[in-house]
Amino acid sequence: MWIGGYLVVSALIFSIGAAGVLVRRNPLVILLCLELMLNGANLALVAFARMWGGASGQIFALIVMVVAACEVTVGLGLIVAIHRRRLPIDVDELRELQG
Amino acid sequence: MTLSILIWLPMAIALVAAALPRPWVGRFVAALSLVPLGIAISYVARFNTGHAGLQFVTDQTWVGALGIHYKLGLDGLNVTLVLLCCVLFSASLVWAAFREWPQPRLFYFFFGVAQSGVLGAFCAQDLALFVAFFDLMLIPFYFLIGMWGTGDRVRATTKLVVYTLVGSFFMLAAAIATGVVATSEHGVPITFVLSSLHHLPLSRSSQEWIFLGFAAAFLVKMPLVPFHGWLVDGYKAMPIPAVAVFSGVLSKVAAYGFLRIVLPLFPYASVHYQMVMLLIALASILWGTSLAFTTPDARLVVAYSSVAQLGFITLGIFSLRSQGGQGAILQMINHGLVTAPLFFIVAALALRAGGSEDLREMGGIAFRAPVLAALFLIVAVATLAIPGSANFIGEFMILLGVFKAKVVIAVVAFLGVVGAAVYALRVYIASMHNRVKPGVRSFDIGLGDLAALAPLVIVIIALALYPQFVLSRSQQTVKSTVAATHTPIKVAAR
Amino acid sequence: MSATTSAWLVLLCPLVGSVVIALGFRRFPGRASGWLGTAVITLSFAFAVVTLVKLLGYGPAHRQFVSTLWKYDFTAGVDAKVQILVDPLSVFMILAVSGVSALIHLYSVAYMTSDRGYTRYFSYLNFFVFSMLLLVLAGNFIILIVGWAFVGFASYVLISFWYRRRTATRAGIKAFVINVVGDVGLVLATFVLFQHTHSVDYLKVFHAAHHVFGHNSPALVVACLLLGVAAFAKSAQIPLHTWLPDAMEGPTPVSALIHAATMVTAGVYLIARMHPLFDQAPTAGDVTAIGGCLTLLIAATIALVMVDIKRVIAYSTMSQIGYMIMGVSVGAYSAGMFHLMTHAFFKALLFMAAGSLISAMAGSQSLDRMGGFRKAMPFTFVCFLVGGLALTGLPPFSGWLSKDDILAFLDHRGGGFIALGIAGYVGAFMTALYTFRMIFRAFFGEPVREARSLEEGHLAHADVPTNPATGEEEDTDVGFPGPEHHIAERDMPMKVAMAALAVLALIGGVLQIPGVDRSIERFLEPTFADSVLSREVPSTSTDWVGLAIGAAIAILGIAIAYRIWFAAPDTAPNLRRRFAPIYTLFVNKWYFDELIDLLIVRPTLMLGRLGDSVLERIVVARGVTGGTESAVRAGSAAVRRSQTGFLRYYAAGMVLFLAAVTLYFLVSST
Repeated sequence: MWIGGYLVVSALIFSIGAAGVLVRRNPLVILLCLELMLNGANLALVAFARMWGGASGQIFALIVMVVAACEVTVGLGLIVAIHRRRLPIDVDELRELQG
Repeated sequence: MTLSILIWLPMAIALVAAALPRPWVGRFVAALSLVPLGIAISYVARFNTGHAGLQFVTDQTWVGALGIHYKLGLDGLNVTLVLLCCVLFSASLVWAAFREWPQPRLFYFFFGVAQSGVLGAFCAQDLALFVAFFDLMLIPFYFLIGMWGTGDRVRATTKLVVYTLVGSFFMLAAAIATGVVATSEHGVPITFVLSSLHHLPLSRSSQEWIFLGFAAAFLVKMPLVPFHGWLVDGYKAMPIPAVAVFSGVLSKVAAYGFLRIVLPLFPYASVHYQMVMLLIALASILWGTSLAFTTPDARLVVAYSSVAQLGFITLGIFSLRSQGGQGAILQMINHGLVTAPLFFIVAALALRAGGSEDLREMGGIAFRAPVLAALFLIVAVATLAIPGSANFIGEFMILLGVFKAKVVIAVVAFLGVVGAAVYALRVYIASMHNRVKPGVRSFDIGLGDLAALAPLVIVIIALALYPQFVLSRSQQTVKSTVAATHTPIKVAAR
Repeated sequence: MSATTSAWLVLLCPLVGSVVIALGFRRFPGRASGWLGTAVITLSFAFAVVTLVKLLGYGPAHRQFVSTLWKYDFTAGVDAKVQILVDPLSVFMILAVSGVSALIHLYSVAYMTSDRGYTRYFSYLNFFVFSMLLLVLAGNFIILIVGWAFVGFASYVLISFWYRRRTATRAGIKAFVINVVGDVGLVLATFVLFQHTHSVDYLKVFHAAHHVFGHNSPALVVACLLLGVAAFAKSAQIPLHTWLPDAMEGPTPVSALIHAATMVTAGVYLIARMHPLFDQAPTAGDVTAIGGCLTLLIAATIALVMVDIKRVIAYSTMSQIGYMIMGVSVGAYSAGMFHLMTHAFFKALLFMAAGSLISAMAGSQSLDRMGGFRKAMPFTFVCFLVGGLALTGLPPFSGWLSKDDILAFLDHRGGGFIALGIAGYVGAFMTALYTFRMIFRAFFGEPVREARSLEEGHLAHADVPTNPATGEEEDTDVGFPGPEHHIAERDMPMKVAMAALAVLALIGGVLQIPGVDRSIERFLEPTFADSVLSREVPSTSTDWVGLAIGAAIAILGIAIAYRIWFAAPDTAPNLRRRFAPIYTLFVNKWYFDELIDLLIVRPTLMLGRLGDSVLERIVVARGVTGGTESAVRAGSAAVRRSQTGFLRYYAAGMVLFLAAVTLYFLVSST
């Protein structure tokens, strides 16, 4: 099978996600974009697995999904906590942790 | 029973003590510190003096892929130092147990870690393990100064951290380089075990630069001139029991490192840099002595005298003669045994002089404190290495070694011997004798000071009567260690 | 009991005494510690006598025993053990030391009674005796050095015994440091000898020295000169003598014991003990002999002008030791040792009498204030006179036989040694002058207030005790011999001790009368049998000529002293005025203190201060430490600045880094 198409789509999704992380300031959107990046990577993993006929790539993708789910849970929890403390929901404003 | 028990016991005791109610912690730790001391005594008693090699060896693979072993063992170089370590830690803990400390659990825990680290560094027979223990023993002191220190403790901690970490960094780099270069030059699998490295002599050029890495770390740790920048602030800020073990034991680890690692692994470089090291040692002797008899601060007199004494020890090691090496080992023990009581005495003096450690505010304490005066006098004359003390035998052997190697350096070093008489008596006279100063309120020492001081003074006297106790245990190993540097002289000549 | 066992017991007694007295310092009532101290020293003397008897039981050639207790520093080629050597020389010394010490202890029992440091005093004094005995009994160089340093230490603690006096603590540290210089000389000499003979044992070194060193070989001369440095520092010979006059800050019995009778003569013993080396290095012997000769002259000139009575006797001691050093350096071993013994008797006696006199003066030591004590203190006067006559060398007193024995030997050796002998006679003349200056000024003339009240039965007391050196008010805790004064006329122990020494000073000379008996020489012969020089014994007639000259000079000196200080009291001020520059030189002690201060003390202190203020503060604190610190700070500041806290910057960094890595692999794979 020709893998190029899958990879192009995968790279596209990853790049869109990365661009989103870089340009958006809302943590919720950044979280969404991170998911996008992970899914781009997932697509590539599944495609390669399909190409070689091995199962490990698919299992990797499954694990990434689980990790992504955990990550989103923590991330959303943080955002809710920020919201509750009436802090601005803007990553550029949240910069206490600096040298 | 393996050496591991001895090494990790102090830390375990401190951990157990952390579960006790606060007022009991100190006494518990101090009382139980006699257990490692007892174990150390049993090792010294069972030690076979006729044997140069390692005894009581523990050897397990730690990181197999990198050839790092958890290897411990005792030989003539470290057996008495292990005992010294246990003696001084016990004395310091006893001294501390009679006083109140904020957050006592943490305080004694750091002491436990420090003692485990020092014992580990003395016993380690693997380069990587030595480096690990060397850093482990330093970490508690950052906290001991930072949390329980006096005066400008933040600045002191910063200086100490910067200096020792830079030194440790050099040593880490040098240790890795030793393992990698030695094994690759000979085309064998990588190893850091010292006994294996002995059979893999490094090329001259590698020895020359790796030597500098170790030397930097050890010279900073001792410290010798001009690497002593952290000394004044560090010693001034440390709490008394911490400074007692720091000066008494930790500085010896560095001197011991020269004998354990540098001389056997880099014999050519040791000969190559002999003159440089001797001159640094000589500079330290003269520098430390001259500052010790001008500074008005009692604690700094002890600090600077340590610089001079460590200069003597280094002088002995780099005489590359067995007399010098023997003297250096003995002098390490002696210096530990006098410097710790001196710090306790400085604390006792400050207590009687209204809290000041300034000699100009002391005077005339002896009359109402005869026991303190007598103990101080014994320690003071031992410090100045009066013949008849073990310190004299140490200096005698060191200078004899240097005399055989480089006559001129030995003759100049004798200025340090005369200077020691001046500064030791100066401190004694300024605090104990002359007229009573206005702020002085003299009284004899209490049980707390006596419990820490008297055993140390008894050990000083016992060792003065029989210095052979140390010398006979170290002679075989020192002989073979020093002999390693004699063959490359011939190689270099060719 | 063998000879060595009893010799060990000689050592053990004072050590045990010192420790017991020290440990029981709060428990001993009254004079108990004093009596205990005296008893152990007497016991020690008894054991010394036992040792002598045992030793005499062997034939002259077999009177040498070595005894070892344990290994001391036995490693890496060094062979030091805790070891004593019992031979005629060491037995001679332990007899003299323990005997005189016992009498001085007895004197101290009374003299120090009202001092608040009574127990401490006897502990120190016993420790001193132990050290001195260790020094003379030592069987190798290490033990010798130990004893050598211990006597220095004991001397230090006893000089600064009244430690609230600043003058006393200064004098103490000065004495100790100069003695350490001597120790260093001894250690260096040991190094040189060890390097060539590979041993520190006396007998092995002496034996090997014959083979490894040639006659006057440079290494041996250096070793002997270093031994000379040690001897000169301990025996207060020029230029290492400045500590001895200051050492008079100690209690008077201490001056009698340490700074007259025993410790300061250790240098003489050292040279005698090392005679196999000095024999082979006559150049070094000549140097020490000249040093001794200079000392005997210079010290005598200073003694002529000092007004502090203890210092006059101290300079006299230096001068007399000059004779002994001169004697043993040129080979007059038994004569030198003989003079050591008689000097111990009469000089200890002089100090004891002076102590009694000072007590009567309520602590004042100035000859200017004394006078007319002859009637008030008849016993002290007689003792002082006996000691003085023995010192002057008037027949038949002991000093006459011993001192002139040395000078006769010098005359006998001829050549340049005659010059030394003549200098010795000049010194003897000055000795007579300053001795009788003391006697005439203190005991004759108009009685002073203190003497008159004593005649009426009252011992004078100072209203406020003051330091005799500075006039500073004393600290009444520690700082003077106590509020009550003790004089020989009223205190039995002092009287007994002084009487015994007076008898010895009078008749001690009979042990060695040329042509009649030469007991000392015959007894010491086995020790010095290997010496080439010891065979050069002057004939009996030469000896008697020397003795006659000595006697004549002594009588002349006494006569002139009588003229100057008794018959025509105006003479002294007149002379002082006429020879003002010389007088200034003498009274300032030839400016040795100032010279040493200028050459050594000040430069050292300046160097130390320079090190502290300039190098330590600027170079190390700012340069090295500050440099490292600012480098680390700058590095961490740079790293810190990159931590902006902007989440998106970090993300961008990661993306860029990943892109770069990807690009690298893409480029490198194609």
